Amino acid sequence: MLVYENDEVNKLAADTTYRERRLIERMRDPEFKAEYLRAQSSIAQVDAVMRSLDNLREAAGISKAQLARQIDKNPASVRRLFTSEVNPELKTIAAMAYALDAELVVQPRKSRRRMRRRARTPRGKRAAMA
Amino acid sequence: MPWAVVYYKREDGSIPVEEFLGDCPVKVEAKMQAVLSAVADAPPPSFSGGGMWEAMHGDMTGYYEVRVNGPKREQFRLFCLLERDPPGLGEPLIAVITGMRKAFMTKFGKADYDAVRVLGDEYKATSPRRIAT
Repeated sequence: MLVYENDEVNKLAADTTYRERRLIERMRDPEFKAEYLRAQSSIAQVDAVMRSLDNLREAAGISKAQLARQIDKNPASVRRLFTSEVNPELKTIAAMAYALDAELVVQPRKSRRRMRRRARTPRGKRAAMA
Repeated sequence: MPWAVVYYKREDGSIPVEEFLGDCPVKVEAKMQAVLSAVADAPPPSFSGGGMWEAMHGDMTGYYEVRVNGPKREQFRLFCLLERDPPGLGEPLIAVITGMRKAFMTKFGKADYDAVRVLGDEYKATSPRRIAT
């Protein structure tokens, strides 16, 4: 193993934020920022679905292998799904949800619901409500 | 505990992944950064990365890739190593080694993966790890 001696050792240990600094710089670009936030939201939703299913599985006391058998999947493939080693397919997610007595629901974001309600409420009534 | 995301820096000072990201379309770059942030916040074994983060197999076992599709049916990949206890740095890391792009429905060749592993081996051969600072 190559060991290099230099004054940067302590700095290296403390400074792992180069990428964070670069990210902050890139966020000044509106196109980058918009896409980053959009992707972040999308990723968070997929991750939340997978983690919710895993929590339901644990709460039901079902092993990954048992869940795999219930949905006619290879136990190793279900284990890989829950550890993010492969990209989950929607039909597999739906099958797992069914096996765990759950269902997938898509609903408008709260902000959109608010906007829609606001659009439906007459202006006079809005003023009275305020 | 969130992991740090670091970029591998070569001995000549170049940062392969930065050069790669600099050539990527802005939206692809943003998406890749969002995946890295998500995985750093909830590292394995948690499910993370929204399906755009996968463990590699075969000759690339030990590497993880960020997989993002771009415009004009092009696909973009970042190649990463995870280290729970990297020498000299004292905190778990996602080390981003480099990236590659390819046309949809094509595969990277052995030489492409060999080139990634050369960089990864360089990274793993340094103590403390040589990263962009």
